[in-house]
Amino acid sequence: MINGNLKATYAADEQVLNNAYKRAFVYGMALLCAALPFVANDYIILVAAQMGIILIAVVGVNVVIGYTGLLSLGHAAFIAIGAYSIPILHTLFASLGVPEGIMPFLAIPLAVAISALVGIVVGLPSLRVKGLYLAVATLSANFIVIFLIELDAMAPYTGGFNGINTPEANLLGWQLDTQREMFALIAALAFVTILGVQNLFRTRVGRAFIAIRERDYSAEVLGISLLRYKLLSFAISAACCGLAGALFAYFYARILPEQFELVLSLQLVAALIVGGMGRTMGPVFGVIIVVMVPELLKYSFGIIAGGSADVAALRAPVQEIVFGALIIIFLMFEPLGITQIVDRGFRSLNRWPFARG
Amino acid sequence: MGQFVQFTLNGLLAGTIYALIAVGIVSVYKATRVVNFAHGYMIMFGAYFYYTFAVLLPGLELMPSWLAKWEPDWLIAARENAPMFSPMGAVLDWVSNLPRIIFGITGAVIACAILGRMIERMLMRPMIGQSSFAMIMITVGLISVLSGAKGLIWTADAAFVPHIAPNAPVRFELFGNPVFLFGADLANAAIAVILFTAIVLWVRYSKGGVAIRATAEDQQTAYSMGISVPAVFGRAWVLAAATGAIAGAILATRNGVSPSLGLFGFSVLAIVLMGGLDSYVGVFIAALMVGFLEAMAQWQLGGEWAEVVPYIAVLIVILIRPHGLLGQKEVERI
Amino acid sequence: MLEVRNLHLSFGGIKALQGVSFTARAGEITGVIGPNGAGKTSLFNAMSGFYTPDSGQVLFDGNDITRLAPDARAALGIARTFQNIALFRGMTVLDNIKLGGHTRLKTDVWSALRYFGAAQREEIAYREEIEERVIDFLEIDHIRKLPITMLPYGLQKRVELGRALAMQPKVLLLDEPVAGMNREETGDMARFILDVQQEFGTTILLVEHDMHMVMDICSHVVVLNFGHQIAEGTPAEVSANPAVIEAYLGTAV
Repeated sequence: MINGNLKATYAADEQVLNNAYKRAFVYGMALLCAALPFVANDYIILVAAQMGIILIAVVGVNVVIGYTGLLSLGHAAFIAIGAYSIPILHTLFASLGVPEGIMPFLAIPLAVAISALVGIVVGLPSLRVKGLYLAVATLSANFIVIFLIELDAMAPYTGGFNGINTPEANLLGWQLDTQREMFALIAALAFVTILGVQNLFRTRVGRAFIAIRERDYSAEVLGISLLRYKLLSFAISAACCGLAGALFAYFYARILPEQFELVLSLQLVAALIVGGMGRTMGPVFGVIIVVMVPELLKYSFGIIAGGSADVAALRAPVQEIVFGALIIIFLMFEPLGITQIVDRGFRSLNRWPFARG
Repeated sequence: MGQFVQFTLNGLLAGTIYALIAVGIVSVYKATRVVNFAHGYMIMFGAYFYYTFAVLLPGLELMPSWLAKWEPDWLIAARENAPMFSPMGAVLDWVSNLPRIIFGITGAVIACAILGRMIERMLMRPMIGQSSFAMIMITVGLISVLSGAKGLIWTADAAFVPHIAPNAPVRFELFGNPVFLFGADLANAAIAVILFTAIVLWVRYSKGGVAIRATAEDQQTAYSMGISVPAVFGRAWVLAAATGAIAGAILATRNGVSPSLGLFGFSVLAIVLMGGLDSYVGVFIAALMVGFLEAMAQWQLGGEWAEVVPYIAVLIVILIRPHGLLGQKEVERI
Repeated sequence: MLEVRNLHLSFGGIKALQGVSFTARAGEITGVIGPNGAGKTSLFNAMSGFYTPDSGQVLFDGNDITRLAPDARAALGIARTFQNIALFRGMTVLDNIKLGGHTRLKTDVWSALRYFGAAQREEIAYREEIEERVIDFLEIDHIRKLPITMLPYGLQKRVELGRALAMQPKVLLLDEPVAGMNREETGDMARFILDVQQEFGTTILLVEHDMHMVMDICSHVVVLNFGHQIAEGTPAEVSANPAVIEAYLGTAV
């Protein structure tokens, strides 16, 4: 809470961007993303697009872990489902004679819907056992999904171990054949996703999720159906991951099953914990860190190793350790994540020079 | 039918190893209410420690030569007399490896226990009193840390580690069906069952075990009754790590030493949930069941199906019995 | 309004309720009293749907709701508070109270995702309603933006009452609303409970230890002891009942 932030009407008080800092940050980010395709070099575009894709997924994970308090460790499975839906649906559409220019308009919503549906199936028993069950169920789902993708019987559709080439998005004749163009789409959809999820938490739906997280029996007494809202939360988060997966498929030329293994799920969780669980900006800060860490490591190892293969081989394990350490350190010392640090910063900025902290 | 008996036995033998891995997860859960998602990676460390102490260190120049290969005169003589590929030959091979096996197991158990103790001390104890969600997520972070640390410490994949028991082929008839097993597998299963039983008895009857159970029941009350809860936590973690080291050594001899051993932790997690989290007996049954089902899947559907069996099984079991085979429903006070 | 008929409830060998029957009459305040362990909270849990009784019925407006889930009972208009405050501790007072209106609001996922339009109109209208009906009513406007953890015990109890009021319930079950409060806080709470009854005509059923308060504000009192219903009647009748005196003070030697 920031002092001296008074409102005259309830409508103004219900606004999300209720102070100048927040407004400046959001509009600034929007402006930056709009300008990026015109000014940035290819490398920045690549990193920014990766951030956008993971961001959409982490926003989804935030709904289920951060807001609803259900532990999930297998959300990469839903990204995989979203991603593999794209080439499969495109092949299907081609055989049905759907024009290429409208394929993404059908394929993306369908990919999202399929992911959400699978999410509901995986989340279905979550009502019966609390807490851990869902973590193990989603973990299992992750293994099973990867297994099915790699299965020989599925290879004609999924390409098995070797992965599959993915189509480019063609929006009504506009072929998104460069990463720059894809970034524009990704950034737009990332904004829409964050806005949509943020909106949820301004209404009874989002409040119900938080109530379940905080104390589920007292949520029941207020008339919140645990089954319906747990599944809804799961469906929404799976849908976000499905969207991220669909964009992933359009963005890269080829997808491989190994890209969607547990490591990715853990990365999503790491991003969420580092950024701040149950906060709108949590995924944003977290994703920036999680995507920047490998890039920084790549850069610094490039300097240290100077071409030595032995040293360069240590980069992958170091990266793993850093991710794990980030999760642990934030949980131990700043469980509310970077969002909390930023909040503190704004608070002291606002009070300066009259008070500290 | 012959095949069925053979695969069933193989499956049950594998199941006992799962049970041994599971005992670590259950013990930590019982004492601390934390499910250790990184247990598989502690087992992987156990396997690498065994590899280090049984293969790498004895191979060094400065180590006495008998450690790497113990060959007293009587052994050489006996080996010359033994026919090739006979059970006797396998036993003699084992005897000559015995020093490094003992060194390896001891080293792995001690090293892993130290690791478990360190994790408990540095990561778990500061979190006592915090939500179990945070503690569980810390073990999730630990997955990454341990997996990465392995990559830094042991850069090359190992090839061969000595079997813990003589690996003589064993042939016999069961219900009129010829069965073929390896001696090492039988011995491993025996070790696993004995350790499992010993731990269950210890938890049930010893003073330390009662402290664990009391802590599981109610941390605050246990604390106020003079039980040192941090000590209980420490004991549970050390116990889990030490059994994990033995399980890791066994897995190393069966599946080779590789980072993928960490994944066993996840299938065993599924088994533990299937069995009921805090029920040793339920978990033992679930472990044997999964071992059996894996063998069946391998027999009927092919090897790659075996690896998803635990995950599919846990989803089905939990759907039917939410608290596992023998788990207790938590009573909530409102 | 809300009626229990011959309710029996046991946990393993412990018989928590043995044949409890009474009616909370519409628009009145009914009190349930009894020594510790008399089964008062068990009775509330059976009435709000957390426990399913072994036998007997819970009736609401003449309909049998014995096997209805808690959230379905809430949707019918039964609100309750808990003995050891069950507020959402991580949320602000305002958000806690807003949650009370869950069943009355209409916004679904799709309009929630869009927000602007129907959902926003509903939210702002709802906000105005709870500001008047709950926050001003309970005199908690100075703390509406504070997180629950920062509030003293007495105010937390009041916020929990506020959350229940936001449901606009037909029946309000209050589990020890003044437990652990000092005399002044108890007086405030008693005043709010009476105000609720008079202003909104809500039927109130309360479980309480504080005999003075029960005798002051209830029009009808039920006495439980070891799961048995030992007396029922007006406060005056009940306090003269020898069985009640025995349960509270023990027998004269």
